[in-house]
Amino acid sequence: MNAPAPRLETTRLHKRFGGLIAVKSCDLAVYPGEIMGLIGPNGSGKSTIMQMIMGVVKPTSGDILLDGISIAGKPVYEIARAGVGIVFQHSRPLRLQTVLENILLGLLPDRITRLRPPQGAVARATLIAEECGLAGVLHRLPATLPFADLRRLELAKAIARDPGLILIDEPFAGLTRGEVTDFANLISRFRTQGRAVVLVDHNVKSLVSLADRAIALYLGEKIAEGTPAQVMRDETVRRVYLGGAITAQPRAAREVPSGPKLLEVENLSVFYGKAQALDQVSLTIEAGEFVSIVGLNGAGKTSLFNAISGLIPSTGTIRWNGTTRRRTTPGAIARAGIVQCPETRELLGAMSVADNLRLAAQRFDRAETAQRLDWLYTLFPILKSRVDQESRTLSGGEQQMLAIARSLMLKPRLLILDEPTLGLAPVILGQLSEALTRLRETTDITILLGEQNVTFALPHADRVYVIEHARFVWQGPPARFAAEAGEGYL
Amino acid sequence: MRVITPSKAIVLVLVLAALALLPLGANGYILGVLTTAFYFAVFAMSWDLLFGYAGEVNFGPTFLIGLGAYGAGMANALLHAPVPLAILIGALAAVAGGVALAIPALRLSGPYLGLITLVAVLLLQQAIVIFAGVTGGEIGLSVPDVLSIDSGPNYEYALAFMAVSGVILSLIARSALGMILQAAGQDRIAAEALGFNPTRHKIMAFAISALFSGLAGAFLVFYLGTASVSAVVDIAIGVRVIIAVVLGGRRTIIGGAIGAVFLIVAGELLRPIGQLSDFVVALIALIVIVIQPDGLLGLLPARRGA
Amino acid sequence: MLALQILIDGFAISTLYALGALGFTLIFGVSGVLNLAHGGILVVAAMIAWYVGTSLGFGAIEGALAGIVAGILIALLTYLAVVRPINRSRAIPARERELFVLTATLLWGVMIEEALSYIFTNSPVTVLPLLPGTIDIAGVRTPSNELLTAVIAWAVMIALWLFVNRTKLGRQLLAASINPRALTLLGFELGTIYLLVWLIYGLLAGIAGVLLGSFLGTGADYIPGLTGSAFTIVILGGLGSVSGTLIAAYLIGYIETFTAYLISPSLREIPALILLILVLYLRPQGLLGRR
Repeated sequence: MNAPAPRLETTRLHKRFGGLIAVKSCDLAVYPGEIMGLIGPNGSGKSTIMQMIMGVVKPTSGDILLDGISIAGKPVYEIARAGVGIVFQHSRPLRLQTVLENILLGLLPDRITRLRPPQGAVARATLIAEECGLAGVLHRLPATLPFADLRRLELAKAIARDPGLILIDEPFAGLTRGEVTDFANLISRFRTQGRAVVLVDHNVKSLVSLADRAIALYLGEKIAEGTPAQVMRDETVRRVYLGGAITAQPRAAREVPSGPKLLEVENLSVFYGKAQALDQVSLTIEAGEFVSIVGLNGAGKTSLFNAISGLIPSTGTIRWNGTTRRRTTPGAIARAGIVQCPETRELLGAMSVADNLRLAAQRFDRAETAQRLDWLYTLFPILKSRVDQESRTLSGGEQQMLAIARSLMLKPRLLILDEPTLGLAPVILGQLSEALTRLRETTDITILLGEQNVTFALPHADRVYVIEHARFVWQGPPARFAAEAGEGYL
Repeated sequence: MRVITPSKAIVLVLVLAALALLPLGANGYILGVLTTAFYFAVFAMSWDLLFGYAGEVNFGPTFLIGLGAYGAGMANALLHAPVPLAILIGALAAVAGGVALAIPALRLSGPYLGLITLVAVLLLQQAIVIFAGVTGGEIGLSVPDVLSIDSGPNYEYALAFMAVSGVILSLIARSALGMILQAAGQDRIAAEALGFNPTRHKIMAFAISALFSGLAGAFLVFYLGTASVSAVVDIAIGVRVIIAVVLGGRRTIIGGAIGAVFLIVAGELLRPIGQLSDFVVALIALIVIVIQPDGLLGLLPARRGA
Repeated sequence: MLALQILIDGFAISTLYALGALGFTLIFGVSGVLNLAHGGILVVAAMIAWYVGTSLGFGAIEGALAGIVAGILIALLTYLAVVRPINRSRAIPARERELFVLTATLLWGVMIEEALSYIFTNSPVTVLPLLPGTIDIAGVRTPSNELLTAVIAWAVMIALWLFVNRTKLGRQLLAASINPRALTLLGFELGTIYLLVWLIYGLLAGIAGVLLGSFLGTGADYIPGLTGSAFTIVILGGLGSVSGTLIAAYLIGYIETFTAYLISPSLREIPALILLILVLYLRPQGLLGRR
């Protein structure tokens, strides 16, 4: 029996941005009537691959074949017309048109002289809307729709041109469990219709029941391929996501000092437009504790940290050192002792290491600045040797250390670290880990760490929270993590 | 496609009918003010098609208006073309200039496109001054023919032109082309993902905007009897076109007409305070922009929440 | 000695353009705003300097100081009454914010032009030179004021460089132009920094306006041309590049001077405009700008 020809095939697809190789010579194939999952953490290259298939990004080398015809490097609209539909991560409807008109747009020919839609287009649009569960909101404006319907609208727009290949970015982000099932059914129907579907997501778990095959990416390379279950069990994948086997670490019980908690967060919720990034989250941190929040990209860690740092609006209560927070600015929050070292690091790239540190030290006098610099250089010796180097020319690990050092310069009471290990080589992780240990031994700083890499996050922690889909799903000491939460993590 | 609701259509017809009957009672002064306002309304409506729908900001609409005005004026004064032909020539000059500007300009993004349109006005001004022999330079170019000597017929011409332009522009805005323009203007990548080439559609939008701006500029010349830089190629006038659209309500086409009439009438009402009237109107406009960016039509309940 | 005269005049005017354009670049780099009312601020400073110095008769220095203060005040007013309300307005969608700011500053510039025209009429005037008389340089008689102007302008630019690179506040400004978010994370208040930037801009524009007014004359009609020159220089040099601005200022200043002397004074602005269009079409990031 002849194997069917792939609907989509990439051969040695390669993308370099300046000095950074985002995708390394990737070969993959997707067949009609198949749902494939493309998974990987931030920086794995999965989004870049998707963008190259779509035409938003031009490949550096390699080819992309749609039904045997090369589409690599073509403009987006040509690729779309060749039969590729895409559902973006963030909904982008036309705000002044109704649901029906939004879908109708996808059925219009690309001609500048067209004033009326072609015969039968309205009827087709209605059919597509019904297929996607939008029959009840055909004549409503997008602003009045709930989040799930906006996602349905994106699906409907994507299939308007009857594409042979559909790319869906983060298919289930922001949906409730019931809505997830609904969507999964819709996507299954695409498979039955003979289309090829590529789902791009951070984790395999959500795709397990839906995808026929999965490919895991890390730092631009394929590290595993097979059924979703196989990929989840793959050694390399587990090492990359979890940092290795989760072993229980015996630790001495910490003495909990009595008194007001340092940070109390109650019923914190964050919305980006209609999408809920954080759902009634509560946590407490004692002075001197090390709390780790583990969860995959997109689970809500960054939203939580940004809300605590006052960088985004949120609802709920935040109490710092016993006082409930009222209207304030993020700068004031940082000055009050909560300093965040974000995932993006936010270094001043054009300035040197020394200048970055000195900027943070502006409130101190010379003697104190010198003293703190010395201390930071003992914590991160590599920075001392790079003191006059422009910070954007540092390696990833050095940049991360600089970012942490800069935050520490402010003498924070609570240091928030968001995904410090992202994209770093394993040997750097060791250095970071040592620095954190030394930090805890020599100061009484409180640390809140957000990490996807469980093996990095567990050993230092006094307590661990697990966050998934905007909610905490587990809380406890690291010793119990492997037994209770470790299995379901990936 | 849904063009306009029956109730809104009735309101519009009534308003137009009332305006058409105005010459029976009003004096020449009022008719004159409104005539200018109507041409200004077409400037604004054609600007809104480009901005509100295609999402492109034209900081120098007077480039297109000026090309139309001077094109028609020179055709009539130098080539002795009859008025209808001269107006056509002016309109074509505007379209040619608009498309020539647009094609390379659309490769740029953000502030650069807006700046090019602004610079185009400055260059046109300079060109008119340099070639004063044929353009009349800073004094202006007077044309031998006019539409009419009486204010009544002039008013009706302007009203008819505005009504027809408004209808056509509204139809385009709400047509399939208009929808594609909106998609291209709001979200380029999303429009491309749906299979449309945004650049081609934006050039079309530029061309349509240029056509109507040029026509209006040409008509204006044969109303005023003269073409001058201060009347049609001034940056301040261009700014007022933008203000008229924002004041009335952007992305509505009709809002531009409402805003234009409002601006011109307000300017006249404030005439007693002398030269300061321009300043006061501009001040009001600035306050409106900041406090109510959706303009007058944005106050209507039907539009809120869109 | 026409060549020497062009050299000297070109140098003086280029230096003044550089001073004004630096302010424009500063505002764009830190505050992200292309201030299309720039010419208005320059001319307000010049007109007040003329009014206090000549019309009221207080003398050149008092006039200049008054003009500079006026420049600072109108710059702060531009920020507080026009730019900041739009940036903070919840009614304006985020992606249209830049456009609204541009339109509002354009409108504000027109308002300033009309107000000045109403108060002072359009007749051009000249700000009292700080130093009367002429100096003989190798056979070319140059007004002493012209040389003083160039010296003052350079002194101010050097002071600015020292401020940005050697003082704490200055380094905050520099950081704000690179990554404002980093400053917030480090406990700084961006609002205060923006206020400071506009104040410095007002100072630079005030000095540049007063000096330009004594050199070229001033009046409400000068406003569009001055704004046009400033953004020609900034675009040519590359938005956000200080060295680019400086190089471009001298390029434009000399091109204008050449045109004025060798072709016609009334056409002085044209080559720069044509150059601007060419740059926008062929190399929009300018000479040294980052895309």
